[in-house]
Amino acid sequence: MDGGKVTPGRTMALLAGASVLRLAMFTLLPGLPDLLAGRVEISTPVTSFKRLQEGLFLYNHNVSPYDGGVYHQAPLLLPLFSLLPSFAAFPLATYMLYIGADLLSARALLRIAGSGEAGESALFASPRREKRASGLVVAALFLFNPFTIASCVGRSTGVFTTCAILHAIARAVSGAPLGAMVALSFAAYLSMYPLLLLPPLLLLCYDRQLSKHATQSLTQFATTHLAVAAGVLAALFWMSFLVAGSWEFLPSTYGVQLTLSDLAPNVGLWWYFFVEMFDSFRSFFLAVFWLHLSCYVGGLTVRLRRQPLAVLTLLLGIFAVFKPYPSISDTSLFLALVPLYRHVVPLMRYTFVVAAVIMYATFLGPAFYHLWIYAGSGNANFFYAITLVWGLGQSLLVCDLTFAVLRDEWEVERPEMVGKEIRQI
Amino acid sequence: MHRIFSFFLFALLSLNFASASSVYHEQLVLQPLPLSALLASFNFRSSTALSAFEAHNFRFFPRSLGQILQHADTRELHLRFTLGRWDAESWGARPWDGAREGGTGVELWAWLEAETDEEADQKWLTLTNALSGLFCASLNFIDGTRTTRPVMSFQPEGDHPNSTVNNMHLLYGVLPHEVVCTENLTPFLKLLPCKSKAGIATLLDGHKLFDASWQSMAIDVRPVCPDGQGCRLEIEQTIDMVLDIERSKRPRDNPIPRPAPGHELKCDTSKPYHADDTCFPADYSTSQDWSLSQLFGKTIERPCPLTDPGVPPVCLNVPDSRTVFVSHGVVEKKNPDGMSRCFDIPPEVDFNLSLPGPEQKEGEEGNGQIEVTSDLVKSKTPLLYAERSFTGHGQERGGVQTMLRNPSPDNEVEFIYMESLPWFMRIYLHTMDARIEGSYGHNSSNSLIEEVYYRPALDRARGTQLEVRMRIPPASTVFLTYDFEKSILRYTEYPPDANRGFDVAAAVITILNSDKSSPRFAAYNLRTTSLLCSLPTPDFSMPYNVIIFTSTAIALAFGGMFNILVRRFVAADEGPESNLKAAGQRLKGRLATLFERLRNKRAGVVAEKQPAPAPQ
Repeated sequence: MDGGKVTPGRTMALLAGASVLRLAMFTLLPGLPDLLAGRVEISTPVTSFKRLQEGLFLYNHNVSPYDGGVYHQAPLLLPLFSLLPSFAAFPLATYMLYIGADLLSARALLRIAGSGEAGESALFASPRREKRASGLVVAALFLFNPFTIASCVGRSTGVFTTCAILHAIARAVSGAPLGAMVALSFAAYLSMYPLLLLPPLLLLCYDRQLSKHATQSLTQFATTHLAVAAGVLAALFWMSFLVAGSWEFLPSTYGVQLTLSDLAPNVGLWWYFFVEMFDSFRSFFLAVFWLHLSCYVGGLTVRLRRQPLAVLTLLLGIFAVFKPYPSISDTSLFLALVPLYRHVVPLMRYTFVVAAVIMYATFLGPAFYHLWIYAGSGNANFFYAITLVWGLGQSLLVCDLTFAVLRDEWEVERPEMVGKEIRQI
Repeated sequence: MHRIFSFFLFALLSLNFASASSVYHEQLVLQPLPLSALLASFNFRSSTALSAFEAHNFRFFPRSLGQILQHADTRELHLRFTLGRWDAESWGARPWDGAREGGTGVELWAWLEAETDEEADQKWLTLTNALSGLFCASLNFIDGTRTTRPVMSFQPEGDHPNSTVNNMHLLYGVLPHEVVCTENLTPFLKLLPCKSKAGIATLLDGHKLFDASWQSMAIDVRPVCPDGQGCRLEIEQTIDMVLDIERSKRPRDNPIPRPAPGHELKCDTSKPYHADDTCFPADYSTSQDWSLSQLFGKTIERPCPLTDPGVPPVCLNVPDSRTVFVSHGVVEKKNPDGMSRCFDIPPEVDFNLSLPGPEQKEGEEGNGQIEVTSDLVKSKTPLLYAERSFTGHGQERGGVQTMLRNPSPDNEVEFIYMESLPWFMRIYLHTMDARIEGSYGHNSSNSLIEEVYYRPALDRARGTQLEVRMRIPPASTVFLTYDFEKSILRYTEYPPDANRGFDVAAAVITILNSDKSSPRFAAYNLRTTSLLCSLPTPDFSMPYNVIIFTSTAIALAFGGMFNILVRRFVAADEGPESNLKAAGQRLKGRLATLFERLRNKRAGVVAEKQPAPAPQ
């Protein structure tokens, strides 16, 4: 297992390799970034780079970008990208920003993997923890995952959310709960759904707080840190208000995710459902879908109380399937955390099926989309069917991982059951 | 004596009109165009004193329209019904410098007096719904998504007092999908004092008007205040149509369109490949001989008695060299420019006009070439040519390209380009680019664009409004391009013919008057053609299936997760037996006892039978 040992030299080599690969894709294949930026699998209405550019153009010309139907992203991205040199004149700055975000995510992953939280948390130590994956492998699997690379080259702003979420987890496992709250507030500010990660993240922070100034009471700890998160979010909203000039950005960014007013096709299950929905039931099903998305938080947090990082991983998997505007950037975030659980992979039952289904959907998705939109020889059902398969495959992976994690936990009580056939009652 | 009497009568009549504070006149201008086309331009104008109008004395002003205007506080109104495309390359400049035409479909813009924007919207709703009923058009579909408030493109034509100007709101609505037809013409003619019973309006017949290559019906209401006189409210109704002379004459003897026999084709014999079996169509068709009764199917039945006799009812724009035959009693007056003549029609005389084909000069007959220039009044060159089209393919995204050509060799042209686009075309303004080709070399520069007013679309609430002020140097062509994305709609938002596409309204181009001293705001107006945008469509037949499939996928994920989280792990051979297994066991046990019993019974029977023969 020496090959996986994390040394500064190897880390540098990995990060350098990943950035050179991305830079090469940006510069040597000039048509590729725009091609990827136009793909529905990568650019959703809330993460599209082209829409960001439009918002930026309107912002720089004193037109409110939120008084229109195109820009649905967070207001603070506008001054950030205005500070960069113009994309048309000097695209390298933008490329470097996206590559930097990916590298920061990889560094956070290295720290999460290095902490060993996945195998041995404060309340639980897995009997299989010796087999855990090295941080270098985890980071490499993230950096060279085609989904990650495509999101980065397609310049989806989901990359920043990924970075913020991974940083929140990294700060939490390294015993910096305040940093974790700040990072998660940023993620929630950018995409809203990370707010649902707050309960397991609070537990993770609580479990990993440093002994020298540890708070004993969970209630007290949670109250303080929720207040911190709320304070950071309030500050971000206040800054956004100053940037946007009014509160109309709220309905245009978060309201769009809540009401799904933009029905652009994506890999999720929402868009076609609400295209075909009868108008009188639209609000009811919107509420049901959001309720469904948030109902996993409580159940998983309680059932897997001893492994909050596993809860975070599973929730990210569920969000990548069932959130309103998912893209492959969300899947890449989930797949980045899955290798942390390498030690429970032998307990999973459907790895081959899941891998086959995901490959199938990855290759057929773009083909069926082309048949519908460009060739005209297929209809919308073709692409819809593929999004169903994609969603089912991913939810099977999530369920299977849950099973493996739970069985691993159970085998601590029943060490004699290792390798035996079991059932659930 | 007779002359003195008629003068006296005329004076009396005009005095009478003046005292009634209402005047009306009508005029038809006929202008032959190249390629066997004829522009017929009908103009009806009446007015009433503003004070009388406010006291509900309408006289020649149509009462039905007047009451609507009063009810909706409309100070100025412009309504257009247009069909077809003006072929500027062959027909030249548009009639009225384009001021009396609209884009394909129905176009309406009005200045309403209101204190606030909301009040203006309310009045606009009243106005569109009332006009919808009056003109049998779907104007009530001009809702928030089809209404814009242009900032640069329009200026009031009338004279408005300063007190009202500050409270006037301009609203502009357009219905590109509306098919203009006879049901719109009938109410239009009903507004005229003579209806279609007398005067030039007798020529207007739905079959002919809507068979034209291009036609535009316009209604303009505006207050005018001539110096030293009281203000008057003027209504001007205009119908311009370009008739295809050959097509209009066809129904006489051969109503079914079919290819002309070979010997009737007009060929350009100067082509080297001209032969008996090859024919290049001659640029100029000889069928320039026509008469009003042939084209319109009827003659003008006596002039309208209410019209101002000072304005000749019919004018014809052909050079003086051509012979024109008119009905007996009609007075022909040639204009001093030598290019047009007008006709006065005495009362109770039916008017017909016949224009024989141009005389072919000796020697030219041999090669069949006919000189065009001397037989037609040459149309003015328009100040700008504009063509708009879509670029790209597929139903995901596309682009719009407008080609704007300034034909003038030495004058630059400044204009405002306005688009009002539906909300489901999400345009990306940052991709807008103006590229120039022509005498000033090829370069891409945004210096051509002087000012942009942009109001982005809001989903399901309002459309995009884009106004661009540009300046094009002489003899150059500018390509204005931008990208857009097509959004997918809810399935109930598609029309029944969803795959036909969605109509996109014409772009309105207003060329600014370079002469700043002139009161006119626009030197020339033109509209591009409307476009047809195809959106991605869902499968309309399966809402239930989609709801069921998606719900199943969610139920599978939720059920699987719930199962794993809630149930306890046990070894395969531990724990209480599951209900199913227990039931299976029970069933098995019962079956076993049943079999046992059966076997025992059979064994018993055999045992009974066997001892029977024993005594033998």
